[in-house]
Amino acid sequence: MNTEAQTLVESWDNNRLAMLFFLLSEGTFFAFLIIAYVYYHSVSNTGVMAAKVLDPLKTGVYTIFLLSSSFTVWRAEKCLRRGSQRAFKGWLLVTIVLGAVFLFGQGSEYLHLYGQDVTISRDIFGTSFFTLTGFHSLHVLLGLIALSVIFVLALQGEFAQQHSSAVETVALYWHFVDWVWVVIFSVIYLWTVF
Amino acid sequence: MLAIFVLVTALVLYAVVKFRRRPGDSEPRQVFGNSRMEKAWTIAPLLTVVILFIFTIHTMHSADRTPAPGRKPNLEIIAHQWWWEARYPQSGLTTANEIHIPVGKAWLVRLTSADVIHDWWVPDLGRKIDAIPGHPNNFWIQADKPGTYLGTCAEFCGAGHAWMRIRVIAQPESKFKAWEQHQLEVPPQPTSGEAAAGRKLFNKLTCDSCHRVAGTPARADIGPDLTHVASRETLAAGRLKDTPENLGKWISDPQKYKPGAHMPDFNFTQQQVNELVAYLETLK
Amino acid sequence: MSDIPFPGTGEALPLETQQEETAGLLGWVSSVDHKRIGIMYLLAALIYFGAGGIEALLMRIQLAKPVNSFLSPGAFDQIFTMHGTTMIFLVAMPVLTGLANYLIPLMIGASDVAFPRLNALSLWLLVFGGVLLYFSFIAGGAPAAGWFNYAPLSEKAYSTTQGVDYYSLGLLITGIGSVVAAINLIVTIIKYRAPGLTIKRLPLFVWMVLVTQILIILALPALNASLVMILIDRTLNAHFFQAVSGGSAVLWQHYFWAFGHPEVYIVILPAFGMISEVIPVFSRKPIYGYEYVAASTVAIGVLSFLVWAHHMFAVGLGHSVDSMFAISSLLIAVPTGVKIFNWIATMWHGSIRFTTAMLFATGFLVVFTIGGLSGVSLAIFPVDWQVTDTYYLVAHLHYVLFGGTVFGIFAGLYYWFPKMSGRMLDEKLGKWHFWTMLIGFNMTFFVMHLLGLMGMTRRVYTYPNYPGWGMLNMISTIGAVVMGISSLIFIWNIVVSLRQGEPAGDNPWEAWSLEWATTSPPPVHNFDRIPPIRSRRPLWDLAHPENPDWKNEH
Repeated sequence: MNTEAQTLVESWDNNRLAMLFFLLSEGTFFAFLIIAYVYYHSVSNTGVMAAKVLDPLKTGVYTIFLLSSSFTVWRAEKCLRRGSQRAFKGWLLVTIVLGAVFLFGQGSEYLHLYGQDVTISRDIFGTSFFTLTGFHSLHVLLGLIALSVIFVLALQGEFAQQHSSAVETVALYWHFVDWVWVVIFSVIYLWTVF
Repeated sequence: MLAIFVLVTALVLYAVVKFRRRPGDSEPRQVFGNSRMEKAWTIAPLLTVVILFIFTIHTMHSADRTPAPGRKPNLEIIAHQWWWEARYPQSGLTTANEIHIPVGKAWLVRLTSADVIHDWWVPDLGRKIDAIPGHPNNFWIQADKPGTYLGTCAEFCGAGHAWMRIRVIAQPESKFKAWEQHQLEVPPQPTSGEAAAGRKLFNKLTCDSCHRVAGTPARADIGPDLTHVASRETLAAGRLKDTPENLGKWISDPQKYKPGAHMPDFNFTQQQVNELVAYLETLK
Repeated sequence: MSDIPFPGTGEALPLETQQEETAGLLGWVSSVDHKRIGIMYLLAALIYFGAGGIEALLMRIQLAKPVNSFLSPGAFDQIFTMHGTTMIFLVAMPVLTGLANYLIPLMIGASDVAFPRLNALSLWLLVFGGVLLYFSFIAGGAPAAGWFNYAPLSEKAYSTTQGVDYYSLGLLITGIGSVVAAINLIVTIIKYRAPGLTIKRLPLFVWMVLVTQILIILALPALNASLVMILIDRTLNAHFFQAVSGGSAVLWQHYFWAFGHPEVYIVILPAFGMISEVIPVFSRKPIYGYEYVAASTVAIGVLSFLVWAHHMFAVGLGHSVDSMFAISSLLIAVPTGVKIFNWIATMWHGSIRFTTAMLFATGFLVVFTIGGLSGVSLAIFPVDWQVTDTYYLVAHLHYVLFGGTVFGIFAGLYYWFPKMSGRMLDEKLGKWHFWTMLIGFNMTFFVMHLLGLMGMTRRVYTYPNYPGWGMLNMISTIGAVVMGISSLIFIWNIVVSLRQGEPAGDNPWEAWSLEWATTSPPPVHNFDRIPPIRSRRPLWDLAHPENPDWKNEH
């Protein structure tokens, strides 16, 4: 390990470092589910079904909500560091709302698909689609819970200091959840278009 | 491989004897390493594995030749829990468990599975290869001398795995053709005696729900084809020698000989067993 | 802030770990002290070792003679599945995690791991994941599709009891525990090293544990994904691994072995680390070629992700794929060989003391080499096409996993038991343990090479009465009984020594790493004072001011 990389890693606090490695393992987990989706797309032609039942435009809109929440949580961190408590809480709230809208969008999409009899057990498309997007939504939900806990703590004045390991760590997780979605969205939805 | 083992063991034993601490010894010279030694014992193994790899590729080509494009298989094997279905595309023959091939010919076999993953392994005739549902495999078998070649399933496939044995009989071409012809013949229906009664039972007691017998309405291939069962050397994929007595024992209590087999215990009476055996013995 | 010195560049440790432990059983069960957690890992592993060992003996009794009926195939299949699953997930991994947990903070001069409560969580996830797995025996049947759980045999149609579901859930739980523990150890090693302890001065055990934890972070997710997928197939009627509906049985194998192969390196690297501590101390010389041993560890770590399909040579993946994995599998032998040569060179011109720890380390060198070489033969895939899935492979895997990991663990346990308990293990009993184990082990497993070459496939509950098979299997069974007796001698040694073993003192072996610079056992906060660290062997430097390492090392 050369000293430059060493000092960079050593300058992160324990929690962020731990989160980094946790995200490495979660990222690998998602990689395997994504590879399975891609594999079945090539070998069992799930792309046909995907093109038929998915709506990239609608999901694309919800995607914009999710990706914006990455921006807003970054803004929240910045405000905290600057000491603007109200702005910090505001941006945090917006993040949660944006994330919730995304989840709502996923939920309504699932309901719509279920109405068309596209389920996890119907065929290999259903299996690979729902597993991958399902685990992602689960991670979004857990992230929303974590952000809500942070928000409530913020309301109680827990983050009076301008530096919070907890906020930075949860934000890191949230960024991961958002950017994994970029990959998933591209592989599942954009692929039906191109 | 052996040479490396001998070298390592010799070095260890030498060190154990020569460098044993003796009373009064002081701390030995503290040596931290030597990059020349490191290079030496990195490069030597590296060269060794390169040589092994060349050997690997060479052997791969001779043990597992790529078939010419468009080359059709001579034999199709479908693995089942826990028996082997064999189809001969050229003659249209279907049989089970005992597989005949002509001596001296390189035969291409297409292998697949009807249920879980199995593995075909007859050590003297060629490589081991998996039978995978949805992923057919091609491989070569070739017997240089006539004889019986034994093998077994080599991928854990459930309760009957240990008794999913393979029997390949290699015969001179003319004998093989004669066998094939005979296997294609439809055995005559027995019309009297225990055998005729047994034939009726075969239908009434649902044997034909699983077992095909050519020339009868029995068409199913859930269990092995029984058209010529009495002319085989073994029963139940190598579990028992094929004798009338063993046939009776098997039918009476399959679970005793092959626990977990998909053939249930029908609780036949001795009379029923006798009649069924008499019928099956006509299927030569 | 307490005025107990806390070393390293990390943050202050939570106060809980610096307080006195609660008394009694509650104290142990609620402990967040890495030392207690480490010992509990070892205790759990010991109990599971008993279960796995009984499973092994049951199998060997059934296989002692041909066409035996001691166990039905249904029972045998559950037992061999549980034996493999237990030994890998509930014995090998916990022992290594437990020893790492106990030793890492001590070896780097820290007072605990980075996240003590998370540490306790990992332990209890392991314990209860194992309980869930074993619960299957009384809930309709243990899993019976092998520890590798191939699809479609593991699908609901062919594995009709809930065994595979317990398998999946149990391993998901223990797997989460492993990943959490890995994160903990990595952060600890990065952030909590005492001043002067640079990465290049890390004891090799710490270095190898670090690489292992990174392997865990990257490999366990492959298992988790597989388990999740088979659970979804089984409980939600999905199609991941069912060929009839567009799924792929082969994908299971790829995913499982993408985990399974790094897993065996996860299980051997810490043992290599223990050998790298034991051999130098008992040869009275520093490890030969420290940088090369460390670098070869990284090489093994990287290569371990590139060899997985050598478990699939019989699948029919095609010549190019087979060839690529043959290359990587042959290559991975090279850094492993480098280590063996460095260990021997450490002994060379040393002054070797044959304590039991050193006996096991020396035995390891020979036995592991046999396993490594049979591994190389398997990488030559046309050879593999004959011997894979036979007892030749069972021999190989036990030579590397038992001869490698377990012998390494025995060496480590005899070495560090005094530090953990304050008492020495009895050397006489230790020697009995070693020799009976060496003999029993080779009796059990050497003949399996021959059985495999003679055609005996693995995972069979019985075999026909072919010439010689019965006799060789009987020898193997007798060997297994000897191994069982040997294990009992070991356990007896532990029990007796805990009660009346010779007091150990701080540094009974005159060793050189930081864990020996405190009492045996250490106080709750580990160190009252850390010696100055200017080289890889701080205690050698202290004891030999005329010839310290930092004058001679580069």
